[in-house]
Amino acid sequence: MLTKIIGSRVYDYSHVIGDPNETLEPIALAIGEKNELFAIIKGILELSPNVTRFSLGDEPGDERIVSMIGGGYGEAPGQLTWPTGVALDSERNVYVTDAWTDRVSVFTVEGDFIRSFGSSGDGDGQFRRPSGIAIDANDNVLVVDALNDRVQKLTRDGSFISQWGSKGCGDGEFLSPWGITTDADGYVYVADYKNHRIQKFDGDGGFVFALGSRGSGDYEFDHPSDVAVDPDGDIYVCDWANNRVQAYDSDGMYITTFIGDAYELSKWQTEFVRANPDVHKARRRVYSLDPEKRFALPMGVAFDPHGSRLMVADTQRWRIQIYNKLLDYSEPQFNI
Amino acid sequence: MANDHLSLMAHLMRRAGFGATRDELERRLAVGYEATVEDLLHPEGYEPLDFYDFLRYLPLQWKPDTLNGMGQSGWVWRMINTKAPLQEKMCLFWHQIFATGVSKVDHYDEVVDMIDVFREKGLGKYRELLLDVARNPAMLYWLDNHENHATAVNENWGRELLELFTMGVGNYTEEDVYECSRAFTGWTISPKLPRYHMGRWDWHFEYRPYDHDDGEKTFLGHTGNFNGEDIIDIVLAQPATARFIARHLYGFFVADEVQVPAWQVMPPRDPEAIEVIANALSESDFDMRHTLRVLFNSDFFKEARFTKVKNPTEVVISALRLVGGAELPSLYVYDYCNQITYMGQDLLNPPSVEGWHYGVEWINSSSLMKRANFVADMVGETDRPGVRDIIERVRASGASPESAVDVCIELLGPVALNDETRAELIEHAQVLGEFAWDEAHEAESAQRVAELLQLIVATREYQFA
Repeated sequence: MLTKIIGSRVYDYSHVIGDPNETLEPIALAIGEKNELFAIIKGILELSPNVTRFSLGDEPGDERIVSMIGGGYGEAPGQLTWPTGVALDSERNVYVTDAWTDRVSVFTVEGDFIRSFGSSGDGDGQFRRPSGIAIDANDNVLVVDALNDRVQKLTRDGSFISQWGSKGCGDGEFLSPWGITTDADGYVYVADYKNHRIQKFDGDGGFVFALGSRGSGDYEFDHPSDVAVDPDGDIYVCDWANNRVQAYDSDGMYITTFIGDAYELSKWQTEFVRANPDVHKARRRVYSLDPEKRFALPMGVAFDPHGSRLMVADTQRWRIQIYNKLLDYSEPQFNI
Repeated sequence: MANDHLSLMAHLMRRAGFGATRDELERRLAVGYEATVEDLLHPEGYEPLDFYDFLRYLPLQWKPDTLNGMGQSGWVWRMINTKAPLQEKMCLFWHQIFATGVSKVDHYDEVVDMIDVFREKGLGKYRELLLDVARNPAMLYWLDNHENHATAVNENWGRELLELFTMGVGNYTEEDVYECSRAFTGWTISPKLPRYHMGRWDWHFEYRPYDHDDGEKTFLGHTGNFNGEDIIDIVLAQPATARFIARHLYGFFVADEVQVPAWQVMPPRDPEAIEVIANALSESDFDMRHTLRVLFNSDFFKEARFTKVKNPTEVVISALRLVGGAELPSLYVYDYCNQITYMGQDLLNPPSVEGWHYGVEWINSSSLMKRANFVADMVGETDRPGVRDIIERVRASGASPESAVDVCIELLGPVALNDETRAELIEHAQVLGEFAWDEAHEAESAQRVAELLQLIVATREYQFA
């Protein structure tokens, strides 16, 4: 169903944005100002990775690409090889982790390279395959240091402040953690990928709770890749290998599951299909178009507080699916 | 010099796997040869590699594009890092027989799905595997069975089933090919979504009763209203099938044979061995685990050391497993794939339905250089953990150039170098005198060891498994 009503919450599928030429493999998302979305586009053959800045517009179909951030593929300053996580600071600078070069690169929203920090290793301010990144209300940079199984808190220029976590499956321990986010109260949430759970911490890394174990049911995850939190405190877990996103309330109680609902093509996909008669014909001869609606190994999730909407990087379908969380929903007349 | 037990274990690991480091050989030697064979035959005893760890960094490999090197990388990463090497070796064996290729299928992921079937069922009963292959979308497309209709028979799959997958030429008639093909009418692929606007989709087998020829068929002397499954049961009951698969197993695991098209005119290199393997197949309902147990424990296998030219996959994978440092998914995996291709084995894209010609046909002036250069590059990287281990073992052996040469020869195989080559290596090592391992000279000595390793892997003898 396109509209889900769960208790007092209403989620309504909105639309999809995606371009078969420009949004190949979106893997991580960050929200900017109103109607502004940043997506890491992994690209084909690892040759064209960038952070694409979208203007979403007010209506489905209004979306457009504003700019592509990153100086091309490579290891030189300003270039990206394996961009993995993206976040913005209070001055709208764009921070991008790179799991290949073990550093964080910083750009203006226009795409100008400012600086980078980090190097390979396990010392303070060093990384081994940095993954998710978030910036807290004090403009501290939180980097998930995946293969060092820790989170590092750094200043905006990369100076080390603190760290937490070590390899393991106990409270506060990690196995190759991936995505990270913060909420309005300063709590930090980490997708603990190989432990198949989400962990919540206070802003100093104090353990609050862990949610989930391996599996495909409720309260279960399979290689979770990312996590987002909305202004109400609801938690969205990108349950990567289960091809879904699960929602939990702030106490960790299950709310619902999203599996993808793209019943219409994006504006750019529609143009592409219309321009390619064989693609059009092939779509019409299949038994069902339902598979087109569903997520395929979604890697990234973000919640847009300006528009109250959930964004899912539907990685293997080269698009972003958008759900509105409706705050003023009223039931339609039943017998119309 | 290496003792015979260790040399035999190294032989087993080269053939049933992709070689082994000295540490692994010593561990396996401690449990014994037969126990090692059992261990290799039971991959389920090991935690499988977590392929999501690979996709996390290389997500495009979920459904790779049809660009060179892309589709092979997941499999190559598995071969480098698996704890159950025979499982991957069987994938390579079956890929050589069911040689489906991306040149026609144009979807790496579909051919990779077929490799996954080999991984899951390659050590089981051949009947089950053959049925899966007959229903595999890549194979259906590769051999045109999606064009095999009740009213318009296409003989491609039916012919290759008999010629390349079971009995071999000379054991059936053209009429049998036609009747066999009739039985597989209606075995096809569901309509699929196109790839271009949002990525690739899995293909699915579909049986269409309305497109199946329900008439009576006469096949290999049997008459009935046969469907494809019946045909497979009939061909598996033919003695020719056991002998044919036995010869494939012998050529892949024991010693280089002539190429398949010559089998009808050239007798097997070792007819008694073929008989032993064929009997093992017949007595076990074509159970590959049972058959390989017989093969690996046989005298003809144990005595067949260095009678095979390494195929390019073995060259590259065994080098990487030896030197280490390729455990994490990385961009280098594309180069490893390309190296295998440059040496003449474009995995997932064989040159024809016959697979690759092997043995001395792997060697030409170009491929020989590629083989030697790649392995020499790898063993020359002294920061690789496997190379560091060899250097430490040479260091522990003392300062003598002669002992350094012998230790290197042992740790790279042991390699069966002839006396003349060994003497030349010792002469070369002696030019710079004894190895000094004090702090001031250890880097220089480590480099000398690496250069010795490079010379050894460039020898003729190193090309043999």
